[in-house]
Amino acid sequence: MKIAIIDYGYANIRSVINAFNCFECDISILESPKALADSDKIVMPGVGSFDAGMRGLRERNFIDTMSERVFEFDVPFLGICVGMQMMSEGSEEGDLPGLGWFQGTFRHFPSTDSSLKVPHIGWSEVTAQPDSQLFSGIDLVSDFYFAHSYYLPIDEKKDEICAGKCTYGVPFTAAVEQDHVFGVQFHPEKSQLAGMKIIENFLSI
Amino acid sequence: MTTKYRLIASVLCHRGQVVQTRRFKPQNVIGNAITAVDFFNSWAVDEIILLDISPNDQYFDSFVETADELSKRCFVPLTVGGNVRSLDAARRLTRVGADKVVVNTGAFLRPELIAEIADAFGKQAVVVSVDAAPNPDLPSGYEVVIDRARHRTKEDLLSWVNKATAHGAGELLLNSVEHDGDRRGYDIPLMNLVTSHVSIPVIAFGGVNEWQDLVSGIRDGGVQAVAAGNIFHYTEQSTKKAKEFLEQAQLRVRRSQFYEISLPRHPKYRPY
Repeated sequence: MKIAIIDYGYANIRSVINAFNCFECDISILESPKALADSDKIVMPGVGSFDAGMRGLRERNFIDTMSERVFEFDVPFLGICVGMQMMSEGSEEGDLPGLGWFQGTFRHFPSTDSSLKVPHIGWSEVTAQPDSQLFSGIDLVSDFYFAHSYYLPIDEKKDEICAGKCTYGVPFTAAVEQDHVFGVQFHPEKSQLAGMKIIENFLSI
Repeated sequence: MTTKYRLIASVLCHRGQVVQTRRFKPQNVIGNAITAVDFFNSWAVDEIILLDISPNDQYFDSFVETADELSKRCFVPLTVGGNVRSLDAARRLTRVGADKVVVNTGAFLRPELIAEIADAFGKQAVVVSVDAAPNPDLPSGYEVVIDRARHRTKEDLLSWVNKATAHGAGELLLNSVEHDGDRRGYDIPLMNLVTSHVSIPVIAFGGVNEWQDLVSGIRDGGVQAVAAGNIFHYTEQSTKKAKEFLEQAQLRVRRSQFYEISLPRHPKYRPY
């Protein structure tokens, strides 16, 4: 199985590579969309800022080919952290629009409560949707590692794509899932066995 | 509901070997870093901090190699630093798999370094390590000490903390020069002073002698994470026991879950 890891120049992709490397798969790190046509699955890691990521995607001409592979050829896709954020319509962090693959805009965690430290860094409980493919075989409530300052609010319109919820001061979307398109706000590559199980599930889709 | 309290194991490398320290001076050699991380990764630890405490950056190349080896087998967050004085050094560490970079003296001498790393890798990737010593002549009662406790700066602790957060620090790693390796628990007034002052997470470090010290750090010091090094090296199943102790004290911590997963290409990964 060929796994494409999107390298748009800003993300720290090494941890993601290390985790996928534990499984039986061929990993290619793509700096251009050329090899996307050969890939069975696409992973978009993300660390860094929203606009830097979107600019990187644009400058390296990923956007059109990636959308085509995912929505016309049904290639499974996993966005991680800022990678998930970029799949949305946008984020308060930046001015550039996101990919718009799902509805909603990311917001900054409220800074009114002084006991709520921002960024949200650490292990928090995710409550998964029982029918989620991504969380299959994982306890319904399980800890995952988060490191982020922006979150996707929960709302009814997005309920059908919400695969996992978390609360940090406010309830927020920890994972989105629609058919073969997935996004996780946490870092499965850094969430020990629960995270490895997420990766295994994604690889088996 | 908030995030769980993190238990962090620190691994200190001195000229390529894992060591214990007391008041910032290397003491016993524990072994090599890979064994240490395999050990911690196997148990209930929530994060690993790997620091190069060699006297200068002469050993930095081999330290980067060590970090590289470790990141391949570390599936909890890996925070790496020591002798990071430039964005380039931070980039080298993230390139080999550091999820967060620790800066200390380099950031104090040139605070823009914090902003440079935050811009490149996000704010959550910059951990500013602050070492403090009591100084009654300063407003906060503490002075910032750099260069592995060799150099007193005369700068007030909170004044430096304000600068560091303004430049984009994502977390603080807070240590007391006098408590480091001294087995008298964290410097609780120091922790409290800082946690009540900042809006970013604080990691307590230095001086843990018994599991109750971890509880005090969280409950009385108000920190979001507790780190220790020496104590974990000598107790079998140490991080698991520490977790159980925290849980008994009614503190919310992560319980490791076990799942049957086939990791064919990673035969050395022994999670439990």
